[in-house]
Amino acid sequence: MTNKPEPFEQFLLAEGEKKVEMTLDTRMPNTCIFKFNKEDHTLGNLLRARLLQDRRVTFAAYKVPHPLFPTFELRVQTDGSLSPKEALLQACRDSVSDLNTLSREFTKEYELRKMVNEGRENGI
Amino acid sequence: MTISLHSDEEHFADYPVIIHNISPRFSPHAYLTMAYIGFGGAYNEDGMDIEATGPKVTVREATQDHVDFVLQSTSLSLANSLRRAMLAEVPTVCIDQVQILSNTSVLPDEFIAHRLGLIPLDSRGCEPDMLFQRECDCGGDCERCAVILELACKCEREGTMMVFARDLIIVDARPNEYVGQPVIRDPKGNGPLIAKLRRGQELRVRCTAIKGIAKEHAKWAPTAAVGFEYDPNNKLRHVDYWYEENAKDEWPVDPRNANWESEDTAADAAFDPDATPGAFFFDVEGVGTLDPDQIVQEGIKVLQNKLALVIQGLGGGSDNDNNNTNTNATNGAVGAGGATPFGAGGVQDQAYGGAGDHTSYGGYPAGGATAYGGGGATSYGTPYGAPGQNGYGY
Repeated sequence: MTNKPEPFEQFLLAEGEKKVEMTLDTRMPNTCIFKFNKEDHTLGNLLRARLLQDRRVTFAAYKVPHPLFPTFELRVQTDGSLSPKEALLQACRDSVSDLNTLSREFTKEYELRKMVNEGRENGI
Repeated sequence: MTISLHSDEEHFADYPVIIHNISPRFSPHAYLTMAYIGFGGAYNEDGMDIEATGPKVTVREATQDHVDFVLQSTSLSLANSLRRAMLAEVPTVCIDQVQILSNTSVLPDEFIAHRLGLIPLDSRGCEPDMLFQRECDCGGDCERCAVILELACKCEREGTMMVFARDLIIVDARPNEYVGQPVIRDPKGNGPLIAKLRRGQELRVRCTAIKGIAKEHAKWAPTAAVGFEYDPNNKLRHVDYWYEENAKDEWPVDPRNANWESEDTAADAAFDPDATPGAFFFDVEGVGTLDPDQIVQEGIKVLQNKLALVIQGLGGGSDNDNNNTNTNATNGAVGAGGATPFGAGGVQDQAYGGAGDHTSYGGYPAGGATAYGGGGATSYGTPYGAPGQNGYGY
């Protein structure tokens, strides 16, 4: 009998819990706060950096409100030419395609390296 | 700077506090002339600073359990996310439940169960051939989500009998021809030692191996270590080295990494405050459960899945925008059927935050909105829901 949280609560969404919750930040124009559930710095920092590469995004930052809760909040402000949500979607899509390139490049390079190694073993 | 961490330290080691950054406002010209350019530097019509060609990879070394590669033309955060994903979120297979049928050895049951859990089992192809047990609808251990291993040893002669991982026998069918086999690398073909038995002692167990990730328990970690280094000459001044007389003489530098980049990053180059890291040196060492290239590829896939879930969660359609309607339909179904209170939460947020600024929820897909509204308003929507928005109002 302890109050230790279950390890899987770090990454499994609870019943009915949503991955992303969007809230408008009424204090500033074109600003949204996205709350990500069951995610951590792995995704938070990735998205933050990607959003900052977009010239139309004027502010992007994330925080993990408490280290024991697997959530983070991403605050995004844009210059108005697109909504924060669109900016975030764009950032996600760009990252996915980046990772596709990375995967392809890695496969190519790895196979090449393996061929070189085999060649060496066979004394070529 | 070199970081080589195991997953458990991870949560404390990385960024304990908020990271706030303001968008970099470099002119395109400044970007192009920057010392070591992480990104190609060009803007496309969308206004994105895109990489000219996407990430570049150079594999410097590849052996059975180990791959050493350099990542270029990408951001520090993507490289670090990949490192974290490989450490903690790549699925492998491990023994998770142990049924002790008979244990008359000197080791307690829990001790043996723990040791069994840590034995590396071949996990090649567990993604996508194997299901997570909690996602499988069999309700128990079926051949799609579990591998059963049995061990039955009894010492009947004088002396000590060693029980090795090779004594674990797979029973029943399994998801593919690799999954669940103990990884055995020693010349004698024994594998890790599990226990020692004296004459008359017996050990009989039945183990269930399932798929899991290292975030749940470190036994599922596919890597023994992930070496990660950038900016070996500390040109970015991300590190302030402690020293007695001279940091240069007292701190080790890996010459292979230090001489990798151009002269801009050489040890005697001037400090450039606008520079970004350009090359990331990875050294992935597996434990034998997955091939090293598979660890990297699965790490990439994990990140992509995360992003896809976000896209789906925001109602942005699938990756390639082909089956937009399909995705929206799924979202709606989840909102309406899944759990009413949460569905309402979404509506609350919008109604509350967006008062007087209705255009701002234009982004939500129409299908999604109706589903949330219909399902949710009755239970929780009341306090906030503005009249005329499905809200009842007290």
